[in-house]
Amino acid sequence: MNEKQLLLNKIKKYSFALKELNLYLDTHPNCRRALALFQQYKELRDKGENEFNEKFGPLTPEQSTCTQRWNWIDDPWPWERR
Amino acid sequence: MNLDLFDDLNGFILRERENSLPSADNDLKTNNGSAVSRFPANTPLAMAYVPFQQWSSVYGDDDAFAAGTLFPDLDLPFMNGGNTR
Repeated sequence: MNEKQLLLNKIKKYSFALKELNLYLDTHPNCRRALALFQQYKELRDKGENEFNEKFGPLTPEQSTCTQRWNWIDDPWPWERR
Repeated sequence: MNLDLFDDLNGFILRERENSLPSADNDLKTNNGSAVSRFPANTPLAMAYVPFQQWSSVYGDDDAFAAGTLFPDLDLPFMNGGNTR
């Protein structure tokens, strides 16, 4: 597995944990332990996404930070995976 | 119609009743070892109940992703015998 896939996998797993905690917190809004873990995973996910953004380009159009050109359209697209 | 199915209906109902009474699996052990039912003392019969999830341990992100849940409490063998991966 190359670095790009490893990083994507990490982001995917952090996002899944976040979604799980999101659903748990919906029914347990006062659970501080869940809230703390949510913040932890959010930080990890954001860090991962920023790293991915810097190395391989934006995951979503909103993440595009390049001021020179609109790099959202740069290759490869998900179906052009190499 | 296969009437054999109904031969032991009385026995079946009895067993189901016994299983539904507070015992073994339905009980939680407290710290001092006494058993507490998951249900309040005056729980009406014939109603369906969903135990409210309590915070316990959580999987790490790798295990959670593989299991399909962050919570070991919810990691149940729904696909027993099927292809779980």
